[in-house]
Amino acid sequence: MTAPLLHVDNLHTYFYSSGKQAFIRSVDGVAFDIAEGETLGLVGESGSGKSITALSIMGLISEGPGVIRGNIHFKTNGTIQNLLEHLDTYVTVSGQNNRIMQVNKDLVGWEKNVDKIMRDIRGKKIGMIFQNPKSSLNPFQPVGKQIMESILLHTSVTNPEEARERALTWLDRVKIDSPRLRFDNYPYGLSGGMCQRAMIAMALAGEPLLLIADEPTTGLDATIQSKIIDLLAELKSEFGITILLISHDISIISRLSERVAVMYGGTIVEYGPSRDVLARDRSAKHPYTQALLASIPNEENLTENGYLKAIEGDVLDTINIPEGCRFQNRCSRCTDAIREQCMHEEPPLHEIAKGHHIRCWLFES
Amino acid sequence: MPKTILEVIDLKKHFTHRKGIFSGLKEKHQSIPAVDGVSFYLKQNETVGLVGESGCGKTTIGRTILRLTPPTSGKIIFDNKDITHMSHNELLHLRGEMQMIFQDLDAALNPKMRVRDILKEAITVHHELSDTEVSARMQDLLDQVSLKKSKLANFPHELSGGEKRRVGIARVLSVGARLIIADEPTSALDVSIQAQVVNLLKDLQKHLGLSYLFISHDLRVVELISHKVAVMYLGKIVEIGLANRIATKARHPYTTILWSSLVEKQSRESDASRQVKTWGVFDYERPYSGCRFAPRCPVYAANGRPDVCTNPETEPVLRDTGDAHRVACHFPL
Amino acid sequence: MKTYSQHSLEVTDLPEIPLWKKADKVDLLYVAYGLFIVLLVVGSYIAGSLKLLPYDPQDIDLNLMMAPPGTTGHVLGTDFMGRDMLSRLIVGIQAYFLPGLLAVFIALYFGTVLGVIAGYRGGLWDTSITYFVNLVDSFPRLVLILLVIAAFKPNIYYIMFVVGLTNVPVVSSLIKNKILFLKEKNFIEADIALGIPLKTIIMKHILWHHCRALLVIQATLGMAEAILIETSLSYLGFGVQEPAASWGNMVQSGANYLMQGKFWPSTAPALAILFTILGFHLLGDGLNNILEGRKKGS
Repeated sequence: MTAPLLHVDNLHTYFYSSGKQAFIRSVDGVAFDIAEGETLGLVGESGSGKSITALSIMGLISEGPGVIRGNIHFKTNGTIQNLLEHLDTYVTVSGQNNRIMQVNKDLVGWEKNVDKIMRDIRGKKIGMIFQNPKSSLNPFQPVGKQIMESILLHTSVTNPEEARERALTWLDRVKIDSPRLRFDNYPYGLSGGMCQRAMIAMALAGEPLLLIADEPTTGLDATIQSKIIDLLAELKSEFGITILLISHDISIISRLSERVAVMYGGTIVEYGPSRDVLARDRSAKHPYTQALLASIPNEENLTENGYLKAIEGDVLDTINIPEGCRFQNRCSRCTDAIREQCMHEEPPLHEIAKGHHIRCWLFES
Repeated sequence: MPKTILEVIDLKKHFTHRKGIFSGLKEKHQSIPAVDGVSFYLKQNETVGLVGESGCGKTTIGRTILRLTPPTSGKIIFDNKDITHMSHNELLHLRGEMQMIFQDLDAALNPKMRVRDILKEAITVHHELSDTEVSARMQDLLDQVSLKKSKLANFPHELSGGEKRRVGIARVLSVGARLIIADEPTSALDVSIQAQVVNLLKDLQKHLGLSYLFISHDLRVVELISHKVAVMYLGKIVEIGLANRIATKARHPYTTILWSSLVEKQSRESDASRQVKTWGVFDYERPYSGCRFAPRCPVYAANGRPDVCTNPETEPVLRDTGDAHRVACHFPL
Repeated sequence: MKTYSQHSLEVTDLPEIPLWKKADKVDLLYVAYGLFIVLLVVGSYIAGSLKLLPYDPQDIDLNLMMAPPGTTGHVLGTDFMGRDMLSRLIVGIQAYFLPGLLAVFIALYFGTVLGVIAGYRGGLWDTSITYFVNLVDSFPRLVLILLVIAAFKPNIYYIMFVVGLTNVPVVSSLIKNKILFLKEKNFIEADIALGIPLKTIIMKHILWHHCRALLVIQATLGMAEAILIETSLSYLGFGVQEPAASWGNMVQSGANYLMQGKFWPSTAPALAILFTILGFHLLGDGLNNILEGRKKGS
């Protein structure tokens, strides 16, 4: 078994609300792997922690307390590096009842440490593309120049002419029309779809080992969304890039990912091959996954009166995490047999089939 | 026979832009026809969905119908009254009955006012009510939109997306709305909350007899909540028909392409027929004559680029094809 | 090393912390001092109007000239003519109080009206108002004041009218920018759609909720400035003339005695000017920070 390209383990990223004097537990114990060449989809709604997970991996969390626990093992050139190395020298946590209640962190020291480690990783080994491509690109530079910058910084190319040629090649590869013309365009002159293509070109031009795509299609028109997904699928098969795909749109996750992790309230509640996790058959599934799939507006999800099956209640506010299962107050499948357990004990991730894990007491043997 | 609550006749709204926001525009003072001759009607207790991609003019139509921006030409008839040129004072009386739910969740919510003040203002804007009447009405509204009473003391930034949306809906109901133009009401919400809001809107329609113009780019939601769906492209309606058939029995090439993009997001198989849609960018840069969709229409290309499509004299207009279905195309599928 | 701690597992909505508790202690100090000064000023003005003074400010006592503070009967000593310092200082406030209010009122009222019209109507209104306002702004204020003095007698009210006018550009720009910023926010459009009358939108939604901090600060700054201008003019001899009391002319006449080592007649009014203007500035600053919600320590 070869080691995975990325192995995240026990990741905790917290923020602090001074107004409420409490922690916002955005990522509260997340673990997953991505093998080389594979695409892992991270699905969840707002507040689930999926974007914060990506930012934690990239070391882009700047507000305190930030990343406080965990290991991120990244494989480069055969060696495995822990991106959160030395974390324990900067942080001490303490708590009661299995819940972290106090964090002491040397913020400055930790920032310096992260910068040192991530300087060689960001862009060069792990690339990232964001939602809202127009606002993620530098509005004062032509897109071609931005891609060139990525090439000059992250690859072995030092000659600007060569970098320019490569940038044009990348613009061509992302199927932007008239690459030579678009090279000199500023982001405001490009549509959302074209900006997203440019951003993909910029991220891939650094030739990273892993691409993190954070909501790459949100905000784009329907027809353009499918084009961007087509593009990612093609790039995947052509270059074999490893992708961590984050989205709330289940259709694109199922199209591109081999494996899926469903996040809710800062933890992964279901994790496994996409055809199992996102399958039509809803019974062998975490109640949240099931409810989420059932609330998607389509023909089969309508009740007899023509209503959608909405999930009761609001998405979990990660500042107030209940004892026990995080989904309990919205779960419709809780039975009397396990109710006590659901209320007081948080279930662990339990493997119900090969590679398919569910965090729910309904599935504990 | 339910009566018509809204009728729009050949509505046009042109914007004049001085700066070159769209690169490629040669002239500086270009007139941008955001809405270029749109006609449809909405019956009471009915929902008409309006779909299209960004820039097709669907949001502008909503704002023009409510006279938030003056129409360039055409007619707007609300409840048998021609409001196209009504003075603002006369309009003020009718304002309560035709309302809008904005795309931006924070719209309609002054960030410095608490929810109860926001609702109180809305309740008392057209009528003078005593304090007890106001509280009673407020409780009514909260029940109607399923909002917890504890939220009254909160400021907008303390509410979740779904809650903000509900406050917006409550505000609109409190002035006695009968026609609601919902501009992307679910776009900024999570999927599970979207379902709640859609259900809420359906409920309200049933209990209060509301009529909706449901503007959205989310094709699925529009299909499910509307009775009729109109498809817009670059300022014009290209097809309008019953919701349950717009997806399967679409007759305009654009409609087919729009709906097929939904399927594409999910399918893994590469389809040869999809190749025909490798168009460039959805941009407003190219000046058009005749049918606006022609430059990207696969049917146009397949038929050898016939002149009838691009001739401005023979620009396709909405024609009845039976079954309450209308298409603007010379070669409907 | 930063420590974050949470006290209880269950996080409920904390009771609302009133603004003054959330504020930085320094800001509270500023506001307290400022309010103290304002109270002193207003109190003194009332006292002065009602002639509730320890001595008649014109009362000359040649036996007790330039007595230091603490002399029996004269808490703050006397000036070079033996007149009670405290009484003169109190009366000095009459010179700038009402005129100052006039200046502030003119600046705020016209500034707001012009700013609202320019911001809300836009187009030609905006252009012409901006043009006019820039014109006023380009005039050197001192020259304008001297012109007024030359044309009319040195009437402090005329002068303050001019001062107010020259502050209109600042206020109108601030208000206009606030309005332009808020116009983009959808809630104004939503208000119109709802049928809320325009007047309410402007007065309540825009001005009251979003501009009040701005206006308060402009008021305090305006008053501080008015005091400075009045006292400066009186110092130069253009304002209040002897024997009537103005802090400015008190500094002026007292200055003649500095060479003799008698610094009190000049310094006392100078200190009064200093502390009063400081009070207004700090009040404005502190209120701004509190109302705009500056967090502790930032």
